[in-house]
Amino acid sequence: MQKNVLKSFVVLLSVYCILSLCSCSSQNRLEGYVYYRLNTNPTTLDPALIVDVTGGTLSAKLYNGLVRIGEDLSIKPDIAEKWKISEDGLRYIFKLRHGVYFSNKREVKAIDFKYSFERILSPNNRSPNTWVLDKILGADDFVKGCAEDVKGIQAPDDYTLEIRLKNPFSPFLSLLTMSAAYVVPHEEAEKLGPDFSSHPVGTGPFILKEWLPNREVRLEAREDYFDKPSKVKGIIYRIIPEDLTAVTEFELGNIDVLAIPASEYSRYKKDHKKKNYISSIQGLNTYYIGLNCSRPPFNNINMRRAISYAIDREKILNTMYEKRGRLSGGPVPDILRKWTIPDSSEYDPQKAMDLIAREGFSGGTIYFYITADQEIVDIAEVIQSYIKAIGIDVKIKQLEWSAYKEVVNKGEPDIFYLSWWADYPDPENFLFPLFHSSNHGPAGNRTRYTNHIVDALIEKGQYTINEKQRNLFYKKAEEMIIADAPWVPLWHKTDFTIRQPWLKNYKIYPIYSMDKGTDISF
Amino acid sequence: MITYIIKKIIFLIPILFGITLLTFTLTKALPGDPVLSMVGERAQPEVIEKIRRELGTERNILIQYLGYVKLLLKGEFGRSYYTNRKVFDDLVLKFPNTLRLAFGAMIIAIPVGLFFGFASAIKKDTLIDRLISTVSMTGLSIPVFWSGLLIMLFLSLQLKLFPPSGTGDIRFLILPSITLSLPALATISRVTRATIIEIIDMPFITAVKAKGISRMRIHLIHVLKNALIPIITLIGLDFGSYLNGAVLTETIFGWDGIGRFTMEGIIKRDYPVIMGCVIIGTVIVVIINLIVDVLYHFIDPRIRIHEESR
Repeated sequence: MQKNVLKSFVVLLSVYCILSLCSCSSQNRLEGYVYYRLNTNPTTLDPALIVDVTGGTLSAKLYNGLVRIGEDLSIKPDIAEKWKISEDGLRYIFKLRHGVYFSNKREVKAIDFKYSFERILSPNNRSPNTWVLDKILGADDFVKGCAEDVKGIQAPDDYTLEIRLKNPFSPFLSLLTMSAAYVVPHEEAEKLGPDFSSHPVGTGPFILKEWLPNREVRLEAREDYFDKPSKVKGIIYRIIPEDLTAVTEFELGNIDVLAIPASEYSRYKKDHKKKNYISSIQGLNTYYIGLNCSRPPFNNINMRRAISYAIDREKILNTMYEKRGRLSGGPVPDILRKWTIPDSSEYDPQKAMDLIAREGFSGGTIYFYITADQEIVDIAEVIQSYIKAIGIDVKIKQLEWSAYKEVVNKGEPDIFYLSWWADYPDPENFLFPLFHSSNHGPAGNRTRYTNHIVDALIEKGQYTINEKQRNLFYKKAEEMIIADAPWVPLWHKTDFTIRQPWLKNYKIYPIYSMDKGTDISF
Repeated sequence: MITYIIKKIIFLIPILFGITLLTFTLTKALPGDPVLSMVGERAQPEVIEKIRRELGTERNILIQYLGYVKLLLKGEFGRSYYTNRKVFDDLVLKFPNTLRLAFGAMIIAIPVGLFFGFASAIKKDTLIDRLISTVSMTGLSIPVFWSGLLIMLFLSLQLKLFPPSGTGDIRFLILPSITLSLPALATISRVTRATIIEIIDMPFITAVKAKGISRMRIHLIHVLKNALIPIITLIGLDFGSYLNGAVLTETIFGWDGIGRFTMEGIIKRDYPVIMGCVIIGTVIVVIINLIVDVLYHFIDPRIRIHEESR
């Protein structure tokens, strides 16, 4: 018997050792590589399917589009070296650079853009990004399968691309900076089919060398990149879901750049040595409390205004949020707003109670929906106490993200906590999806706010090419939205990262697609 | 014996169908729509409808289930809604990692647990017994999430002995294995103690003692052998659960195993991933139970597992 037990133990030990040895993989630092942390696995690297920030961050290093966002948030040339827009704003002619190659060594031609754009719009592909390109003439017919190609996209020669729009759309160039508008080679996309997701081929400064799902993604610098080449051999993204683990990895020098988790912010800020390596950028985002305008009590403007007066946003931002953001006056982030708006963050509980009394609100419970994130739970509890203080009973309902998104899209909550992050740096991105009445529900307008004057102003802004005039429409629209109070805008979050001392030329960008990864060096 | 094993394996087929039907119904009953998570923030309603049609998520649940069974009969698990990768390929990639972690944890938990249990039982009601019981209770009560972080901070950040996270060679395996072994170690220790105390008082041990056999021989051969049945049952249960993934340990230490994969599938409502993981989990549990049954027979020949002797 003793022998049998011993034997089984030795067999178990041997199996274990063999398994360990078989799977030996070195995770020591590779020289010349920059190490970043991702908190989640990218879902896909196919530009047609990318909707997540992680996928967008990586794809910016693997692909290029016609244009890109410059550091001053203006539109800069990428593969298109120049472009011309007709006076009526309907026709865009792009001249492409010569000598831009895909990583399979084939030169990029204008026809590749036509293929890539039609691939997004094709009824055979289930791309969720059709909205990026549906302003192009003939896109609707093509999406419905009624046309063989998109007639608004033409390639008169190898280096000229002509795009015609259905209607003028002022932020169109901004849309072309998004990952959905990146160029892909047709021969690879067709050969690989669904596997193009994990075997991407693009024109970017890096190529995908290895992707071990849930472990790491290794990108290697290309020598034949058409623009400023990378100064490092490559980038390794380590996928570490747990924040404290990532902090430990950073402290041990296994990660070069770390987005500072909220729980660690004050510790790093107080550290005399480390605080010199903290970078920050004002994010293009707005955090808000949405009020359901489609049913009582918040279909009443005064009830919505009462909630706005009831919450001391500045206090929450300065204490619980540790000043990791700027107070928000309206839905459009302050760095995109080129106009002034009245201050809407006034805290006046007495005024709130007067408004409620005027409306004769008889009590009753309202439901505040949030996701089960500890930081959000803490903030929600404070907001709950502010609203209770003006005589409204609030019950918090915590849901897991997927379930939360479903109920918010369906319009079930009375109040909800959410944020909106820019896809492209244009105020339109914070007005049309979030407040236009055609976008109720999953398209962005989750408060189900409807104001036809605001609709018309946003549409006018979209059609107007003249920037001054356009800003005037946006200003009026934003003022009306603030007055109608479908949101209690809270703050625009600032992003903080910390880097290792040996890293040089590190920059932090407000939109993930701006970082091509070519500046950083050791 | 062989007939018994074959019968058990054949019995696996109705179990699998039962489990898949149950899981399929339960996951579909959960709130949350995978399509809405897949399409991001601004997809047009027509696109959402198109994706729903393609994935078949709006069809009758029975038709959806039959479609999945048809896929299974072809030997496929389908593709993940999000990554478009074949679920089977991902499971093949992750299962060896889970297996290594489970073995790692068990290799620590079994000898240490047995030793603690044994020492505690033969030194019953002494300081050693109380000390071991306290350690076992602590191991059992501390949540893995906390013990994992403490182990990481101490052995990795302070002493710089092991890498804090990642999936790789044996160095990466040590911290998650220690963390995962703690609760199992504590239960094995407690069950071993209780069983051995019971056996030590039995008349046959007194008889053996009267024969003048050495203490060591009595403990190792007569006591341990008779105590093994409940301990092996426990080890089988723990091992089966570890092979189905240890979500928290894998998450803390960034270990790429089945547990994290299943959890991500559940959070994103990635039905093909959830189903694939459940099927693999069911097969594992049935196989482990089968192995435990066979082991019973070897440890105690009075336990007959073939039909004729029942």
